[in-house]
Amino acid sequence: MQEEEDPKEYRWESGYEKTWETIQEDESGRLEPSVTEIIQRTKRRKLLDREASVRLGIMRHVYIILDYSQAMTEQDLKPTRQICTLKILEDFIKEFHDQNPISQLGIITTQNKVAKRNSDLSNNPQRHLDCIKKLQDVPCRGEPSLQNALEVALSSLRHLPPHTSREILIIYAALTTCDPGEIIATLQKVQEANIRVSVVGLAAELHVCKDITKNTGGSFSVSINDLHLKELINEHLEPPPASTKMDHTLIKVGFPHQINADAKPALCMCHLDDLPPLNTRGYYCPQCTAKYCDLPAECRVCGLMLVTAPHLARSYRHLFPLKHFNEILAEESSAKECYGCQKQFTATAADKNVSYMFLML
Amino acid sequence: MILDVDGMRVFFPYDFIYPEQYSYMLDLKRALDAKGHCLLEMPSGTGKTISLLSLTVSYLLAFPQTLSKLIYCSRTIPEIEKVIEELRKLRIYIEKETGEASNIIGVGLASRKHLCINPEVSKARDSKVIDSGCHALTASYVRARAQRDDTIPQCEFFEKFDLHGREFPLPAGCYNFDDLRDFGHQKGWCPYFLARHAVVAANVVVYSYHYLLDPKISEIVSKEMKREACVVFDEAHNIDNICVDSMSININRKILDKAKTAITHLTEHIQRVKMSDSNRLQEEYNRLVAGLRQAASQQDLIANPILPKDILEENVPGNIRMADYFISFIRRLVDFLKMRLTVTHAVQESPAGFLKDIRARAFIDRKPLRFCSERLASIVRSLELTDVSDLAPLVAVANFATLVSTYLQGFAIIIEPFEDKAPNIPNPILYLRCLDSSIAIKPVFTKFQTVVITSGTLSPLDMYPKILDFHPVIQSSFTMTLARPCILPMIVTKGNDQVSISSKFESRDDPAVVRNYGKLLVEMSRCVPDGMVCFFTSYLYLENVVATWYDHGIISDLQRHKLVFIETQDDAETSLALINYMKACDRGRGGLLLAVARGKVSEGIDFDHHYGRCVIMMGIPFMYTQSRILKARLEYLRDQFNIRENDFLTFDAMRHAAQCVGRVMRGKTDYGIMLFADQRFSRADKRNKLPRWIQEYLMDSKCNLSTEEAVQLTRPWLRQMAQPFTRDDQLGVSLLTLEQLNSADSIAQVQRRAQITL
Repeated sequence: MQEEEDPKEYRWESGYEKTWETIQEDESGRLEPSVTEIIQRTKRRKLLDREASVRLGIMRHVYIILDYSQAMTEQDLKPTRQICTLKILEDFIKEFHDQNPISQLGIITTQNKVAKRNSDLSNNPQRHLDCIKKLQDVPCRGEPSLQNALEVALSSLRHLPPHTSREILIIYAALTTCDPGEIIATLQKVQEANIRVSVVGLAAELHVCKDITKNTGGSFSVSINDLHLKELINEHLEPPPASTKMDHTLIKVGFPHQINADAKPALCMCHLDDLPPLNTRGYYCPQCTAKYCDLPAECRVCGLMLVTAPHLARSYRHLFPLKHFNEILAEESSAKECYGCQKQFTATAADKNVSYMFLML
Repeated sequence: MILDVDGMRVFFPYDFIYPEQYSYMLDLKRALDAKGHCLLEMPSGTGKTISLLSLTVSYLLAFPQTLSKLIYCSRTIPEIEKVIEELRKLRIYIEKETGEASNIIGVGLASRKHLCINPEVSKARDSKVIDSGCHALTASYVRARAQRDDTIPQCEFFEKFDLHGREFPLPAGCYNFDDLRDFGHQKGWCPYFLARHAVVAANVVVYSYHYLLDPKISEIVSKEMKREACVVFDEAHNIDNICVDSMSININRKILDKAKTAITHLTEHIQRVKMSDSNRLQEEYNRLVAGLRQAASQQDLIANPILPKDILEENVPGNIRMADYFISFIRRLVDFLKMRLTVTHAVQESPAGFLKDIRARAFIDRKPLRFCSERLASIVRSLELTDVSDLAPLVAVANFATLVSTYLQGFAIIIEPFEDKAPNIPNPILYLRCLDSSIAIKPVFTKFQTVVITSGTLSPLDMYPKILDFHPVIQSSFTMTLARPCILPMIVTKGNDQVSISSKFESRDDPAVVRNYGKLLVEMSRCVPDGMVCFFTSYLYLENVVATWYDHGIISDLQRHKLVFIETQDDAETSLALINYMKACDRGRGGLLLAVARGKVSEGIDFDHHYGRCVIMMGIPFMYTQSRILKARLEYLRDQFNIRENDFLTFDAMRHAAQCVGRVMRGKTDYGIMLFADQRFSRADKRNKLPRWIQEYLMDSKCNLSTEEAVQLTRPWLRQMAQPFTRDDQLGVSLLTLEQLNSADSIAQVQRRAQITL
């Protein structure tokens, strides 16, 4: 993120960098040609691979495991890995609840060889955002423990109903893990519980992480810079294809009404702890008439899933993504400029990606 | 796919091919056409073995007149098995393509330890015990006696093989050691002798170096090979040392004492034979008088240590023909050697000087000495000794006598009163060292029409023709075409405090240097994932440095990031450390292995993928220059081959350094950092001696770095390497399909590359 945002971070405090050497152009003017090209190609392939008629796990339960070890204090992401990651996560949480309204999120951090659950699984974004805010003041210390973190996540994901998609997203900065026991055994348990583990690394490829993701069907990626990190984390906004072991059952869903006018002032169930003022606005569970101020929610009293129709519709959209764009050469098309942004199509543009135009079928 | 290499159809069992494999085949084809020797360097992990096999086997099929056999020499048993597996793949592919059964026979050969299926004999673990156990059951006189006497045990497998197996050709196919054993069980034949027999008829033979280079064994195993063969020495970067070692003998007090005991046993035996069967000794005497050189029977355990061309076609001299005389002769020899061992200071002399001395003081002439080992073999045969393992020290003495009296050039005798490690405890050793590596390999070069010397690290190439004394028709070094820069060689010359780091003798114990080495290791272990290997120049230096690091707290710093393992001189300890190191890498804890260049770890153990993401070479692994053996060899090389001492030392050090760092890179999908931490590496004379495939990525900007600069280069590189990488990304650049290969411009490109290397 921008350096100006944190005035305490001075240029001379950061690591020694040979900025003039990192810039290398190839004939087409791209930087770090071979690897960049490979990344571009994988991205396109991923888009092409996505198919419309795949069963997706839309009811997602995701634990984010955040490495909070010493390695997070490194300054290769600006201002530090910790701050940068938290900022990206903030956006991610908002976006996640927006795109996956009937899914739940939780946050676990690991440092000093132990793991701690910072926020429980819930579909209330505000709670996670508060948690992220609190985490900004927590210092990063010691070594992480992958095994402990996985055990913590496992203990709560294991009891979820079988039709949900269970996922763990690990954001890992360290290059080591300090475990109390055999991590292979934990991996076995994770695999048996049908949990999909994905890892986003901040530093380098760690074999054990790659192994977990391979065995559980998740994805493994390592970020190159902050923009890439954001991209990688945001890839997890899309619901993953449902694993074959997942059950399909009918789920009872309640569509609560917003009762106004003649309602009596009452406490809402979601903010019981911080004693909100009594009011009449809210949604009432059609089964037990408990009140909730925000949807979607799981009824605390009768366990009914409370959603509105737009929520379901929004989740539904993942099932029918846009069709692929068709690639045609600029010369062959009749249009001379982009309909959307009015950019001219030229065959001689330096970046050949620009010289193509994309038409939707 | 079927390739067209220089007009010849080459069967290649994979759908994709690396460009360098193609150019490798082109060069190999040229060498085979020219019937000359060649020297090829190609990085490991680029499919050297299959290229070699594909081309030579296709050549065998296309021109059976010019080439009839491929002899593939490898270093270790697993490598031999790997070669056989590749050959099996190739053979299946050829059958599929041509649609008819192929008559290629591929056989691996190893010692009895790996092949014996006799339930009694194979129980033993030690290979010497197995050899001698086999000998006791299968020696010709034992079998002759067993025919008379039913109580004498025999090996049923050998008997059955001898009865039926010799006329029966091995069915076409590829046989590794398990296959041979299975086949042996199935037929009831001895797999070892079956393999030895099959070697003569097989098209492809895979065995260890020693079967060709060690004159003691090659005489027995490889004598019947024809000239129209192609010999391949794989991983041959140490071939000169193997040649030298195969003709060198060390003798100490213990060996002489045991030899003495063996002589006493022999004497007793002779007395007994005299009593019971005096004819036998007389017969032997008559044979020796008649000058019948015993054709070495197949099961001879005591073989002549000199080369075939040097074996005299003369009679055994008169003064050692009688068994008694010979015994007293060899006793005198042992006593003389014992006397020579009582020295207080190191002595070095030439074989000629030694012969003069032994003549003056022990009245032993040169001629009987030359026949010593042959005479010993003969007496063992006529005494019908069954247990020959006790005789080993005596055999060593006899071999010493034969070698020292046969070769007056290229050998040196060095007697040292103390060992290097314990300079106060007298433990005199007599070394007979071969100084000239060309002596042992010369018969191979003259006997076979094509000899291929190949390895991942042969640079600088022009040294090998000199020290092995041959003229290659082709000598080239191939690089690795890569779709992404997956090796990162760097030369770190100074620490963060700008103090230059070096393992130079004067500065190696300087606390600043040791601390900077430690800091470098800590910094690297912080940013490199999984496994990391660090090579020191010697065990002594490793121990000193680790002790200092421990005092300075560097070890505990290291252990926060990785678990530290140390290679020791104890084999069992080292393998335990290795197992746990790999465990640490697998579990994500990360491991750091402190090893020694020239040690067990530096040769033969691969640290592929996560087992080795980074290799650090702490200092230049020069040989111990104070050693008299090395000094003698350097002197000889200077006088005979005009190679300057310094050139040879640098050459040897750099090939070991390259070998160490090469451990990290075992294929194109792998990636690794190669860090040379010594200020002297940045000099042109050292840098230029690295293999071409490493040099190509060692830009000027990566030499002369400080610790921090190295870390700054490492981090982004590791990130880039962690990006997903599939085969499609390699296609067209570092991996070609048949169509891509056949396109005119890629052939031109490949050939251009090959041209440059000539």
